[in-house]
Amino acid sequence: MPVTPYTGTFGREELKHLLRRTMFGATNEDLLAFSGQSLSQVVDALLAVNIVQTPPLKNYWRLNGTTPDPSLVDPAIPFGTTWVNTPNIIGTVDANVYRMASFFSWRVGLMVTQPRTILEKMVLFWTNHMPIQTSVVYNGLLFYGYDQMLRQHCLGNFREMMYDVTVNPCMLDYLNGSANVASAPDENYARELMELFTLGEGSGYTEADVQAAARVLTGWDIREVLNSVPILPEAYFRPENHDSGNKTFSGFFNNTVIPGQTGANAGTTEVNALLNMIFLKQEVSLFMCRELYRFFVHGEISAQAESQFIVPLAELFRANAGAPDQMETVMRALLTSDHFFSAGIRTCMMMSPADLIIGTTRKMKFDWPSETTQVEGRYKMFQSLFYICVNCFQNLFDPPSVAGWPAYFQTPQFDELWLDSAAYAARNSAVQGIIGQGFNTGPEFYQAASRNLLRKPNLLAAVAEMGDASDPNVVVAGCADMLYAIPVSQGILDTIKTNRLLLGQSNDTYWSDAYEIYVADPNTTNQTAQMVPNLLTFMLLDMAKAGETQVF
Amino acid sequence: MRRRSFLRSLSAASVGGFAVRGFGNPMLGPLLDRSAQDRVLVIVQLYGGNDGLNTVIPLDQYSNLSTARANVLIPENEVLSLQGLGGATGLHPAMGGMRELWNEGKLSVVQGVGYPDPDFSHFRSTDIWETGANSDELLDSGWAGRYLHQEYPNYPIGFPNDTMPDPLAIRIGGPVTVGLQHLGVAMGASIYNTQDGLDLTGNMFNDPITADCKGSKLDFARQVQRQADLYGNVIEAAALPSCNLSTLYPTGIQPGAELAGQLKIVAQLICGGLKTRIYWVSMDGFDTHAQQVVAGDTATGAHATLLQGLSDSLRAFQDDLQLLGVDDRVIGMTFSEFGRRVKSNGSVGTDHGAAAPLFLFGTNLIPGMLGTNPEIPANVDTNTNIPMQYDFRSVYASVLRDWFCLEQTEVDQVLLDTYQPLSLVDPTGCIDTGVHALNQGAGTSLLEVFPNPFTESTTIRFETYGGRVMVQVFDAAGQVVRKLVNSELPPGQHTVACDLGDMPAGAYFCRVQNGSQQQVKSMMKVR
Repeated sequence: MPVTPYTGTFGREELKHLLRRTMFGATNEDLLAFSGQSLSQVVDALLAVNIVQTPPLKNYWRLNGTTPDPSLVDPAIPFGTTWVNTPNIIGTVDANVYRMASFFSWRVGLMVTQPRTILEKMVLFWTNHMPIQTSVVYNGLLFYGYDQMLRQHCLGNFREMMYDVTVNPCMLDYLNGSANVASAPDENYARELMELFTLGEGSGYTEADVQAAARVLTGWDIREVLNSVPILPEAYFRPENHDSGNKTFSGFFNNTVIPGQTGANAGTTEVNALLNMIFLKQEVSLFMCRELYRFFVHGEISAQAESQFIVPLAELFRANAGAPDQMETVMRALLTSDHFFSAGIRTCMMMSPADLIIGTTRKMKFDWPSETTQVEGRYKMFQSLFYICVNCFQNLFDPPSVAGWPAYFQTPQFDELWLDSAAYAARNSAVQGIIGQGFNTGPEFYQAASRNLLRKPNLLAAVAEMGDASDPNVVVAGCADMLYAIPVSQGILDTIKTNRLLLGQSNDTYWSDAYEIYVADPNTTNQTAQMVPNLLTFMLLDMAKAGETQVF
Repeated sequence: MRRRSFLRSLSAASVGGFAVRGFGNPMLGPLLDRSAQDRVLVIVQLYGGNDGLNTVIPLDQYSNLSTARANVLIPENEVLSLQGLGGATGLHPAMGGMRELWNEGKLSVVQGVGYPDPDFSHFRSTDIWETGANSDELLDSGWAGRYLHQEYPNYPIGFPNDTMPDPLAIRIGGPVTVGLQHLGVAMGASIYNTQDGLDLTGNMFNDPITADCKGSKLDFARQVQRQADLYGNVIEAAALPSCNLSTLYPTGIQPGAELAGQLKIVAQLICGGLKTRIYWVSMDGFDTHAQQVVAGDTATGAHATLLQGLSDSLRAFQDDLQLLGVDDRVIGMTFSEFGRRVKSNGSVGTDHGAAAPLFLFGTNLIPGMLGTNPEIPANVDTNTNIPMQYDFRSVYASVLRDWFCLEQTEVDQVLLDTYQPLSLVDPTGCIDTGVHALNQGAGTSLLEVFPNPFTESTTIRFETYGGRVMVQVFDAAGQVVRKLVNSELPPGQHTVACDLGDMPAGAYFCRVQNGSQQQVKSMMKVR
C-alpha cells in the first residue's frame, strides 16, 4: 500500500503549512517566491538542498592591555578567515571556547539566513535524533565535523549515514566509543545506537545484545596528534583494543553471530556487519518514520496514522534501503501526502523555540551586518539569537540528553512540553525584544565596522509586501496572517487597528495619510507621520502576545 | 490579609536589627495557620544514574570490592564511617555535609532501592521512577501528579482559590516532567527564578476555541499564559531574599552551586508562606561511564565533585530551614534512575546498573540506615548488579502515608497497587485538622462519581456549560476504556451510568470535557 498523495487544493494556506514545517517560519517573501507553483514543484525546490556554505570564521580575539588583539588566540589564523582547517593547539590559550562560540553563531546564522530549502530543518531533525551535547563535548572542530556529516547525509541513505555517525570522532567522544576497549567494554554508544538511533526502546533487542554490540564496537579511537604533529581530529581503529571473539546476538536478531575479526580492517568489517544485522529489522524503518512524524507532522501518532501513514511510509523507506537518496524519497512522500495536509492534525503543534524565535526574526526582515567586512558584528547578533533560544529552553547545541528534546518523544504531552509557565514568560519576552528592540553590538570590537551597530526590524518593508499598506485593514490583516497560523477574528483585528494604527480614532484615513507622507519622505517633519514606525512596532508587540502565536 | 503580604510588610518595617525569621519567630508563629497539612516534600533528582557503591560504601565488603572495581574504589581509610554502624558502612569522603546530618539524626539511608526486572535505559528508568510504573508497564501520569490529584481533585478548574492560592507543586530549574503530570494536566508550575511576572494584554485575544486539534493547542497555550501570569505574581510576592539565613550554601564556581541556588528558592518560598506541597529540584552529570574518578587518586574527580555539591547543598538547605524555624514542615528525598554496575570499566568509570541507596533528610524522619549493606560476590562479571532490597514505591508509600497523612486505601490509589510502607517518617504528626477535606472541595467540581469505590457499575454526574460534551473513562495506564458521552448537551446537570463489570478491579479515571473546560476524577473498582 503506497502513501496516499495529497490531491486537494494547494492554496496559500497549504503552502504556508508546508513552509512552516520545512523552514523556520513562512515569511511573505517566501510565500511570494513560491506563489503559483504546484505542490510537487514546491517540494522539489525545498528538497534541492545545497550544502556548500562559507565555513565558520575567526571572529575572536583577546585583550592586549585594553586593545582587542586577534593574534593572542589562534595566531596562525587571520581574523575573518576560517579556523576549520587548522588543528587546535592547546597552548596558554585554548582556542576551543572561542571556536565553539564562533560555531554557535555560524550555525544560528545559517538558520536565520536560510535559503528556501529544507536543509536547516533537516539538520535540526538529525541533531534531535542523534544529538551531541556541548556540556559533554566542547571542541569546535569536532562539532563542525559532526555538523558537516549531518548535512552531507541529511537527505541521503540512512544506513550509510549510520556508519559515518558510528565512527565520527565527535560521536566517539560523546558516547565514549573511544574508551570502549576489549578489556573493558563501554556500552554507552551500543545502547543508544539501538535504543535511540535505529530500533527504538522496547523493540525486542536484549541487554545481552547491547553488550555484544559494545564488543563489536571496541577498538575505535580519536586522535588529534599524529607523529607529534597536531592534526584535525580523526577517528582511527586500533586492532589491539578490539575484542576479536565471536559476538552472538539474541533470537531477536535470529541468533546472528558476528565472527570476531583481527587486523586493521576488523573495525570496519564488524561495524558493517552490526549495522547490516540491525538494518535487517523492519523496526528500523518504523522507528525512523515515527521520528520524522513527531518532528515534522504531529506529536501523537494515532492508531490510524500508524496503520495508514507510518506503515506505508516505512515500506517506502525499506524499498529504498539501497538508494543514495533514500531520505529524500521518504521526505518527498511525507510532504506530498494526504495525511500531512489533513485537517485533523494540521496547525496542531506548539512551536519549538527555534520555530518561534528564528521564524519571528526572519519575518522582521533584519538587514544583517556583512559577512566580510562586519563578521564580528554579524556573529555577535547571531550569538544573541542563540542565547535567546537558550533562554527559551532550547539550547540548539546542548539538548537535555542523548534522546534529544522531550517534546519529540515524551508521551502524552509531546510539543506541549515546550510551553510551561517559565517557558511562556521567556518566549514572550524574547519575541517582545526581537520586535521592539532588535539586535545590537557594542563599543569593544576589533573591527571598527562592527562597533555600535543597531539592527531593527524593517516593518515598513514587511507591510509593503502585504498589499496596499496605506489601508490599515490590509496592514492588520497582513500582520495577523504573518504571525498567526490560527486566524484571529475580525472583531479583534478591528480593535487592534483602532487601538494601535488609528490611536483610538475611527477614520481609516488617519493612518493612510500618515503612512503616505512617511513613505514619500521618511525624514518628514510631519509629526503624525513620524509616528508610523512606532505605531507598527507597538501593534506587533500587542499582537505577539496572543496565544495564537505559539501554535503552528 | 494574606500571610506573605503580612511578612512582607513586616520585612519592609524591619529596621533596627529585627530579622524576619519566617514561621520560627515566636511573634509570628501563633498568627499563622500551621497545620500538618502544610507539609512539604522536596524531591532532589540526580540525573544520570548515581554510583551507589561509591556513595554509601559497604566497608565490610571492601576486599571483594577491590577485586571488582579497583580503579574507582575509594581508599578504605578515607571513607567517612557512619556512627552507630560498627564501622561497616561509610560515605564518600566528599560527603562531610551529609555525615553531619547523619550525626545530628537528620539523615536516613535506604539501602538497595530499585524495582523488579530493572531497565538500563536512562529514559525508560527515569520514566519508571517518575510514574511509579512496573518495568513492563507504561503510565501517562506521575506518582506525584497522582498524589496532587488525590489531594486537589478539582484542579485546575477554579484554581487558584482561597483554599489553595499557590501552585500545587513547583519545579525549579527544569521543566515539569511526567512525575508531576496527571492525564495531560501539569500539576505544577515551572520556574527558573522568582521574577517571571508577565505583562499580558488582558483578555484581548479571546476568540472561541474551535472543537478540533488546533483548538486544543490554542486552549493549552492560553491556560499556560493565565497560569504563568497568576502564579508568576504569587511567586514573586512570596520570594523573600531575606528568607535565606544559612551561610553554608555553595556559591559561584563551588561544587553544587546550581543545586544550592534552586534550594535557596525553595527555602524562600516556604518561608514566604506558599502552601505548595512539592518542590522538585535536580542535579545533572551522574552518568559516569568514563573518568568517574581521577586515576590513582580515586577520592577525587567528577563523581567526588558531584557528591560534594549534593552534600554541601543539602547540608546548607537543612541549616537554612532550621534557622528559619520551618524544618519541622519539610522533608527531602533524593532519587536517581538507577545505580551503576558493580564491576568498573576500563574508562575509569562505571556502566548502568540497578538498585542503589536513596537518602531522606529532615527533622521529622526516622534517622539511620534501613536495610543492609549489599553483598559483593568474590567473582563479579560485567553483568553483576546490586539486587533490590526495597521497591522505590515502598519509599513513596511511606512518604504518602506518614508524611502526607494519607489513608492506606488512598496510598494504594496513588500508587495503583499496594506497596508496604517502610518505617521512614515519624507518623505521629498526622492528626486530622479537616484541611484534607477542605482541599478536596477547593475549586469547582464539574464531575462526581457515586458510589465510589464501586463493584460493577457506578453513576457519573457532570455539569456542562452547553455545547459538545465528552465523558470518557481511562484505565490507570491512560487507555480509554469507555466513551460514555460525545454529543451536544444543554447546559446543566446530567448523569450517565458507567458499567465496568467486564473490567479488572483497580484504579480508573473519569474525564469530562466541555469546550475548554476539562476535569478528571479518580474512580476505584473493587472486587
